[in-house]
Amino acid sequence: MSRHDLRAEALSLGYGERTVVDALDVAIPDGLITAVVGANASGKSTLLRGLARLLRPESGQVLLDGAPLERWRNVEVAKVIGLLPQTPVAPDGITVADLVGRGRYPHQGWFRRWTSTDDEAVAAALHATGSADLADRAVGSLSGGQRQRVWVAMVLAQETELLLLDEPTTYLDLSHQVELLDLLADLNETRDTTIVIVLHDLNLAFRYAHHLVAMKAGRIVAEGAPADLVDAALVADVFGLESTVVTCPVSGAPMVVPIAGQRRRRGQDLIATPRRQ
Amino acid sequence: MSLGLAPSPASLPDTIAAARAGRHRRTRRRLVVTSSVGALVLMLFVLTLAIGSTTIAPWRVAGSLLGITDDPLADFVVRELRLPIAVTALAVGMALGLAGPLFQRMLANPLASPDFVGVSSGASLFAATAIVIVHASGLAVSGAALVGAGLSALLIYLLAWRDGITGFRFVLIGIGVSELMLSLVGYILARSSIFDARAAMRWLIGSVGQAGATERHALLAMLVVTLPLVLLLERALRTLELGDDLASGLGIRVEAVRLLLVVLGVVLVGFATAAAGPIAFVALMAGPIAARLIGPATGGILTAGLIGAAIVLAANLVAEHLMPTPLPTGVVTGLVGAPYLVWLLVTTNRGGTGG
Repeated sequence: MSRHDLRAEALSLGYGERTVVDALDVAIPDGLITAVVGANASGKSTLLRGLARLLRPESGQVLLDGAPLERWRNVEVAKVIGLLPQTPVAPDGITVADLVGRGRYPHQGWFRRWTSTDDEAVAAALHATGSADLADRAVGSLSGGQRQRVWVAMVLAQETELLLLDEPTTYLDLSHQVELLDLLADLNETRDTTIVIVLHDLNLAFRYAHHLVAMKAGRIVAEGAPADLVDAALVADVFGLESTVVTCPVSGAPMVVPIAGQRRRRGQDLIATPRRQ
Repeated sequence: MSLGLAPSPASLPDTIAAARAGRHRRTRRRLVVTSSVGALVLMLFVLTLAIGSTTIAPWRVAGSLLGITDDPLADFVVRELRLPIAVTALAVGMALGLAGPLFQRMLANPLASPDFVGVSSGASLFAATAIVIVHASGLAVSGAALVGAGLSALLIYLLAWRDGITGFRFVLIGIGVSELMLSLVGYILARSSIFDARAAMRWLIGSVGQAGATERHALLAMLVVTLPLVLLLERALRTLELGDDLASGLGIRVEAVRLLLVVLGVVLVGFATAAAGPIAFVALMAGPIAARLIGPATGGILTAGLIGAAIVLAANLVAEHLMPTPLPTGVVTGLVGAPYLVWLLVTTNRGGTGG
């Protein structure tokens, strides 16, 4: 199977009068995890919505395999690009198996009923996300971490080569954030899934992404492998945050340590004296 | 809670087998429930034809319906006198039962049934106006009701539109429009003569007996067209209820599908109301009862339609035969439906998911 290619060319997106993403070019690297980071209102979620065709471009275009997304049939796009939005809705009382099964929609026709291929896709998705034993539970009764895994399972059942996730870790505690990102890294490795993820937590983004897209005011400020890209100057530019960038002792990825305003004002040199004795 | 990717204890083939078994179990349950409700509807339908001042035995009813017996008395009573009412009750119930969950699931709110968000009250306003001011009757009233249902739905849709439709806005604006329509109905009734007011009130409570042949035929023709469409769109509806973004990601043209669903729901309710008046609470109750029977969130719009039919047939039987004097059908559905609504309001807010 040939691999798909997703890119944006001179893409501008906005809501009504307000332009949020401004004439932006980006190519999603195939088979890698791309993290989109940026301050609030930098346009990172909007960019993801544009790539997922939730927003019609004001100008420019999103190209899938060289053809503008609008020219694709919706269902054909849905077979290539899976999307997990920020706030999906679980209908009251729905079971995990039923919810995950709904990811099969683009693979079923008007009259084509459920087949064993669908069963296998659902089971594989449940399995990959470690939620097989939750299959008969009601989604509403799950913990936040379990629920997010189930939503990922639903998008996996869609069996797409590309996966777009909009801040999937937002309401999770740290251990579940790590668990979810491990799951995505695993999918990237075992299924060769291309992943684009909008993340708030910089250190997690640096650690899990192969490719980093840093946005500010609707434009891409820097793009590349986190290790080549990230330094205190970039963090200051993108987030307006004074920090020092060290190397993560576990992963070797860059790690941002913010310099707290209060201590800075006291004139303490944090680098020289990391802790007070 | 373990860190990292928690491997499932079951092997993949086990999971596949479990997924398949679970699906078969759900399908079997849906089939059993739907065919049971279908059998109940058939039973109530035959009962409606059998009971009355002259009681006809069920096998004579069946023989007369199928045209295999030579039984002039049964033919007259069953086919001429009772069949129109039974068919109207069946069709009205079916239409309301289909329309309710269509709206409720599309807007992700159990309160969002079309008789609640102003579609029925639009029909009421126009029908009451026609009766009181134009002194219309019969078909003209039905026509006015149909137009009223359509116009109020359009009004709600336009008012709720802001870069798309959200369920919550739609419900709130719908309830507002509904109240407006009902207060106008009150105004019209207050200004009318007692004779007109009585005729209007009778229509406003809703009764399957008031449908004329034309309305009945229009309702049946509408059902023949819309039922297959509703069943085809149920698949899209299952996706739409996951939220607009996700539905879009799964390949649905969200706004187009939603508009189509709204139109279908309004047509179903409009024709049912035009035929029998705004029979209360049927659209509100049918979907949740179906969900209770076949398992939550499993769909089953057809099941809901059959449950709507069973409710209206049963309510008509109760209203005509178990009350001291024959009552309009809407009185009975109201008596059952109002406590249900209270229960719904209490329990949905406890769950924190209701509107």
